[in-house]
Amino acid sequence: MRVVIAEDNALLREGLVLLLTTAGHEVVAVAVAEPEILPALLEHRPDIAVLDVRMPPGFRDEGLRTALEARRRIPGLPVLVLSQYVEESYAAELLGGGASGIGYLLKDRVGRVEEFLEALDRVAAGGTALDPEVVTELLSRRRSTPLDSLTPREREVLALMAEGLDNTTIAATLVITERAVSKHIGNVFLKLGLPTTDTGHRRVLAVLAHLNNS
Amino acid sequence: MWETVRQAARATVQLALAAGLALVSCLFITVLLITATGTVAVIGAWLLPETVLLIRRIAGAKRSMAARWSGQEIPEAYQPITGTLRDRLRTAIRDPSTFGDFRWMVADYGYGCLVLLALPLWLAGLPADGVWCGLLGRRPVVLPLISRLADLDAAWSAALLKPSPKARLTARVEQLTQTRAGAIAAHGAELRRIERDLHDGAQARLVSLSMRIGLAKRAFDRDPQAARRLLDEAQEHAEEALAELRHVVRGIHPPILTDRGLAGAVRALAASSGLEVTVRADDLDEGPRAPAAVEAAAYFVVAETLTNAARHSGSPRAEVWLTRARTGVRVVVRDEGKGGAEMTTGDVGGTGLPGMRRRVAALDGTFTVTSPAGGPTVIEVELPCVW
Repeated sequence: MRVVIAEDNALLREGLVLLLTTAGHEVVAVAVAEPEILPALLEHRPDIAVLDVRMPPGFRDEGLRTALEARRRIPGLPVLVLSQYVEESYAAELLGGGASGIGYLLKDRVGRVEEFLEALDRVAAGGTALDPEVVTELLSRRRSTPLDSLTPREREVLALMAEGLDNTTIAATLVITERAVSKHIGNVFLKLGLPTTDTGHRRVLAVLAHLNNS
Repeated sequence: MWETVRQAARATVQLALAAGLALVSCLFITVLLITATGTVAVIGAWLLPETVLLIRRIAGAKRSMAARWSGQEIPEAYQPITGTLRDRLRTAIRDPSTFGDFRWMVADYGYGCLVLLALPLWLAGLPADGVWCGLLGRRPVVLPLISRLADLDAAWSAALLKPSPKARLTARVEQLTQTRAGAIAAHGAELRRIERDLHDGAQARLVSLSMRIGLAKRAFDRDPQAARRLLDEAQEHAEEALAELRHVVRGIHPPILTDRGLAGAVRALAASSGLEVTVRADDLDEGPRAPAAVEAAAYFVVAETLTNAARHSGSPRAEVWLTRARTGVRVVVRDEGKGGAEMTTGDVGGTGLPGMRRRVAALDGTFTVTSPAGGPTVIEVELPCVW
């Protein structure tokens, strides 16, 4: 895959480039400050953009804003946003224009190389990758909701689903069969009153919308 | 006519009360002289601060009485009389307000008996104004003079009891000294907490991480399985250390405040609070930002209050107002819960209402809680800053 990276910290930048090239991807451009990001994306039209939230010159949420702007200028551009900390409202902003090809992960997750590369592939293919910490926050703050009627296993499945994982990965993560996963998902959607036909990122959106509105 | 009489009667009551108070203060001047003599003679030293405190109460009564009549508050600026006997004596004598109160008491000897003038005015005024106003329909002349007398009493009291600029400055310096000491103590406690968090948390995990990598290197050739297990553990420790660092950073200065400013950060907080929160913060979206410490304190107050509301109030809703006042930031949080929040509860690790009060006081701000049983709970905070 052709990747554009925006990361101002030299250590992390080198690490990311090393990781991606080792995994067989091509890093076509590296932006070290906010004004460089959008031109690089427009010039190279990469398969995926990996953006840090906090970038020079302002060191605020430049990466996030650029991600949203880039998605407006290049519709469907897969974007993986990395951050030192995750914020639920940022996730909501990113997903606001559709969850297809959106990733929002803590920088810590890069350390789990296999999982990180999988998330990268998933986002590039139009899927979703949402950090478990965001999902935990979403699930934990709700007071009395239909969520309370879920069994612990169903909650686990729901959380993994909200992260953007597919049935096969969920089954592998929880060490259960795919049939069991499908059954749990059916129960979750039934209990939450969601349409069961949705698959992939639309499924993630349905789950997140439910969590946000409950 | 009747209105005139009623007004004159009210003024007479006011003057009579003033006279009663003047009598009390006459007594106290004597007491003060006795205790002063006692102090000079050492034996009665402990009595002096107590007497000064009592005089303050009498002056306070006069202040509220005059304020009720004229509708204008008379400010007071007393230094707290606390500490050892020596400290209390020193404050009692050195506080400029002590002299001010004493001066007022002496003057009150004279004008405290204005009520005596009211008596002949009644005797003259009733027949005179009765004819002049009641029969001839002119404006009453004599009876309103009684009101003027009460006005005079209030005006003299205000002039005499108003703290001198020096007393005001002294009181302000005293307050600033206290809040500054509080700020330094809070800052010190905060530094110690951060140091402890880093030392016990991230630092310890990094040590154990480094240790596991070292062990893995040793086991690398001999027992690849064990090396792999050790590396797995090392990675877990690295992740935990990162999580803890994030937690510490959040406690020092929430990153979202830097990114989005106070209004944006509070909106994000509201969205994730689990309550239905209305935020009105349009004032702060534009224009200059408050200093980081002020923003952090305001954010902390809102976060803490919303957590309390979600946990204890039983209210499904809350409202947050953030406004830019001329002198600083004003924060109001209101829930529709059952009320009854107390200053004494939840003071664990600097959280809860006392923690909030300390944090606000450290910035020279004001903190008010109204939480009657049955609700609602309203928290109002003003944090001064220069825009």
